[in-house]
Amino acid sequence: MNNHQKGAKASYIALIVFVLIWISGANALHRFTKETFAEFQAPALQIASKGSDLSRYWELKSRSNEELISASRDLARINAALELRLHSIDDIRRENTRLRENARYTSNSEFLTVVARVISRDTSSWWQKIIIRKGRNDGIRPGSPVVFSDKVIGRVSAVHLNISEVDLVTSPTFRCTAFLVGDEKRRIVYVKGDAANSLSPGRAKITGIPIDYNPPTGQPIKVLTTGLGGVFPSGLILGEVDGSIRMSTDDNYKVADLNPAKDLNMIEEVSVLVPQYPTANEILLAPSEKIKLEEFR
Amino acid sequence: MSPDDSLNKISVPSAPITPWRMYVIFTVFAVGFIYIFCGLFYRQLIQSQDLIDQANSQSEVIVWRPPARGKIMDRNGRTLVENRVRWSVKANLLSLEGEIDKEYRTLVKAEKDKEDNLKINYENLHQQARVNVLNRWLKKIWFVIDESNQKKSPSDKKKVKFLANSPEREVNASALAKHMRETRILKFTLISDLTFPELRNQISDEEADRSIARFIEQFPVDGPITIESDMIRSYPFGSLACHTLGYVKDSNQLPPNFDANFEISFKKLSKSKYTGKVGAEGVEQTYDYALKGISGWERWTKTSAGYKRELLESYPSQTGSESMLSLDVNIQQAAEKALGSIKDSVGNPLPGAAIMMDVNSGEILAIVSQPNYNPNRLASKVTSKYYDEIQEQGGWMNRATQGLYAPGSTFKIITAIAGMRSGKIDYDDILECGPVLRVGNHDFPEHEPYGFGQVDVEKMLAISCNVWNYRVGLMVGPDLLAQEARRFGLDQTLLKTNPAVSGSENPNAYELPSPARRMIIPDSNYKERIGQGNWTGGDTVITAIGQGFILTTPLHMACFASSLARGETRTTPTIFHDPTRIPYHQDSRPIGLNRNQLNAIREGMIRCVTEGTARSIQIPGFQFAAKTGTAEYYKSGQKAHLAWIIGYAPAKNPQVAFAVLVEGQLDTNTWGGLTAGPVAQAMIKEWLNSKNSPSDE
Amino acid sequence: MSIPWAWFSLILATYPWLFVADLLSSTLASSGLNYFITGATLIAPCRRLKRWQAVLFAGCVGFMFEAYRPIPNGTVAISLITIAIILGNYRSYLRTTLATTQAAVVVNALAALIWFSAAAYSSEAQTDIYNSIYQAAIQATLSGIMGLLVIIPLSTTQNWIMDLIGVPSAHDLL
Repeated sequence: MNNHQKGAKASYIALIVFVLIWISGANALHRFTKETFAEFQAPALQIASKGSDLSRYWELKSRSNEELISASRDLARINAALELRLHSIDDIRRENTRLRENARYTSNSEFLTVVARVISRDTSSWWQKIIIRKGRNDGIRPGSPVVFSDKVIGRVSAVHLNISEVDLVTSPTFRCTAFLVGDEKRRIVYVKGDAANSLSPGRAKITGIPIDYNPPTGQPIKVLTTGLGGVFPSGLILGEVDGSIRMSTDDNYKVADLNPAKDLNMIEEVSVLVPQYPTANEILLAPSEKIKLEEFR
Repeated sequence: MSPDDSLNKISVPSAPITPWRMYVIFTVFAVGFIYIFCGLFYRQLIQSQDLIDQANSQSEVIVWRPPARGKIMDRNGRTLVENRVRWSVKANLLSLEGEIDKEYRTLVKAEKDKEDNLKINYENLHQQARVNVLNRWLKKIWFVIDESNQKKSPSDKKKVKFLANSPEREVNASALAKHMRETRILKFTLISDLTFPELRNQISDEEADRSIARFIEQFPVDGPITIESDMIRSYPFGSLACHTLGYVKDSNQLPPNFDANFEISFKKLSKSKYTGKVGAEGVEQTYDYALKGISGWERWTKTSAGYKRELLESYPSQTGSESMLSLDVNIQQAAEKALGSIKDSVGNPLPGAAIMMDVNSGEILAIVSQPNYNPNRLASKVTSKYYDEIQEQGGWMNRATQGLYAPGSTFKIITAIAGMRSGKIDYDDILECGPVLRVGNHDFPEHEPYGFGQVDVEKMLAISCNVWNYRVGLMVGPDLLAQEARRFGLDQTLLKTNPAVSGSENPNAYELPSPARRMIIPDSNYKERIGQGNWTGGDTVITAIGQGFILTTPLHMACFASSLARGETRTTPTIFHDPTRIPYHQDSRPIGLNRNQLNAIREGMIRCVTEGTARSIQIPGFQFAAKTGTAEYYKSGQKAHLAWIIGYAPAKNPQVAFAVLVEGQLDTNTWGGLTAGPVAQAMIKEWLNSKNSPSDE
Repeated sequence: MSIPWAWFSLILATYPWLFVADLLSSTLASSGLNYFITGATLIAPCRRLKRWQAVLFAGCVGFMFEAYRPIPNGTVAISLITIAIILGNYRSYLRTTLATTQAAVVVNALAALIWFSAAAYSSEAQTDIYNSIYQAAIQATLSGIMGLLVIIPLSTTQNWIMDLIGVPSAHDLL
């Protein structure tokens, strides 16, 4: 019995020592622990996701031939229409390149697109994220924008070997700049994820709307990315203004709620736009590039 | 008694204690207890409220919330001055404290390792630690903002080079020290305006927004560095009408029209230093009392180190009231463009002024002074560099209202009126005008080598004959000339505040800051008064052509043209628009000429445009009246010319009057009709445009 | 596997539970709630494992919860370790099913509250305090219920693994 009490005392002391070590411990220790446990869980996540793909496959396989024939006919039709569109886009792209060259305006929005499936969603009042089935091995880098067609889903917040974490637009850690449709002066506003209300999906807020901004009446106000920040390409849809535009508490500008473009809790597949060059933020975050910053005047 | 004995005595327990000693001790203790008790009683019950207040005053602080200034609009409701959101990067020193402490310890250690250093100034080291830590963060911020860190091709790097010149690349140590002394409760501003207004002329709006976007999208969200927004004055038209609008500068003066209960409730609380803006120059200054709004406040608890901790309550600020000026943006733009296109030999715009006003109401439609400045570049912070730059160019002076000039030949209208009113000459009298007129022993020349021959009032005004004026001047005499000039108010200070327009509580005497007050209308005593001897005939003749001692402002001449257009003597100009205004011109009298005489003047001014000195600025299909002038003045000891034109339009049923002045330089050819004329023409054309366009309906 | 590796075998046995709970949480995405059972997994191991093994187990489970979530590093892990130590020291009280169930409910709800507060503390987002308290209460209640629901099958699995390895039963320890 006495032995047990002694052990108890020792265990508390050990705990305190451990906490002290942990608090004063280097960032590298924290990062290492986090990364290890993330990688430990990654295979399971992948297997689960592949499993769900497989079940989907078997589900499809059980369909009748008629169903499949009609589905493929529909797809062929859509395919033809898209092919036509693609041709015109090719022309436009060529024209665009020519104009850019003439104007000596080099494009800064060269992205590599990586398509990824969503493994799981994880939300709380304080974070809104999804985990996708592509990672460092697929060339994904932290900070890359994540989209679904022309709609913004969020931004990669952490990259592991084969999976990545994506902060959704509604996550409090998400922020980007935007233009409101109908503001002919194209003044930038600030979109920021916001902590969710209880029992409700995440929210995002638009702040910095100029006081004299007059929303166009009778139609939803679209919120588009600016393309100025060096992260998101311009013209992607962040969502629409939800409800009314109201004054901020300090009277400086107006604020509004953002209704995300895509139902973020239903999304199954996303595209990650990996920028060709690392963003400044990425360089700052990467410890190996520290020297580069020191050189920077 | 030896010491040992006394010790022995005390150590004996049964030794009798003398009662009086006990009483003494009791009394001492009793007094002590009573004292302590009373003190406690006093502190706890009587002083308690004061002490609570005192404690609060040490732990709470009032932080001001400066109001947004009111908008300024032109007569058609177009915004001339508004507020824009300013994004600034701030550092929360409270959450940086750990990092600063670490740096401080490193510094102290380094300092102690130096053997020769015995005295360590710990306060300095602390400050140095703050600077070092903030500089490290600033480096990261710039790394993110500066696009060149991300691009690869050298041409792209060049594009954003302007950022390298920003003064906010490094922490301003003295500003930080001041912040720690005075405004520690607030966050420290690292970059005051992410759109870099001082570089605004070098970059497009989109470029300017780029740094905001880059910071927001690339700098880590959570941390000690935040992006914050406040309102700052914005002038959408840049330097347009800058002398009329003015600019804003920092002010620590709390707006006085403030929540009345505030002083009573929070008298004892400490308050952060007020950092707001106050209008300087232009309407921003004279109308400041209404534009500035009412300050709000926040009550915070603070940490022992003086940083703010928790918001207890707040009171919103109130935006200042709006103001509508009489200016018309289109005419103002046309005038500035035309005046700005008159360049000297090296391509700098010539100094000058232009005014167009409504003949009936006296509302000023356009008022330009060149050189000008861009108030946007002063809105965030008035940098001494830009201030000096403006100073050097002479851009602070409002030449339209403050510049004193000889009116030159435009004064000949007054000489003619004086001649006719005094009865010395009538509208159809013809004077023989040769190439010179000899007065005393000096020849006063015509500006035309062979003279103009037979000249009447009408012809004189069309061709601007000098000799006619010399002769009429001599007939009328200096005193009558001066009297006539004064009758038209050329020596009156203009732009007096009219309570009916700008509000009765306006504490300022004038609608624009310090209009000229030292106009000179010389009479026969004038020379003696200034100690330059006796008045001579020569002085009279040059006064008659608007030169010599006479000095007035372009605004005076515009008002004179306006009065003439109405057939009256005075026009009260105003810079504020009021559609319900009943035209009223203070001290105005009928001009005192008969119909034929007035007609002669008007016809002469029309002929000035159709065939005379202003014929180069005719507008086909539209008739207006004008009188040009070219006055000599001395610039650094040498003769240069002032170009003038005044007039009104249309010729029949006048609506607007105008005056333009251009200061010629030593090496420029400056002639009234040719130099100043096109500015007047541009204003009239734009006025016609806006009159015909439906937006004016 | 030998007894010193018991904690690791237990993690392998417990992980599927945690993983399924995480995957199921996806369905709750729109409400911001989480099927949190991490706390409940501590009970059975703390009854039977040696103290250091229980601590290792708790730490790993805590770090696994944190791995994909923006919670201040180590908060959940250290809290779970503390709970594990306390549970280990009072293991004599955890002999009956009733007692373990109670412990599971309490520990699970408490752990949920801990991660919620830690996340709230570190988050930059400003929220209505009542809203947060409300959400925290709902999350804690849900976690309590989850603890109640899973403790029996969960501890059965864990006990079975421990029996397999040969960890002495709770009664033998005392």
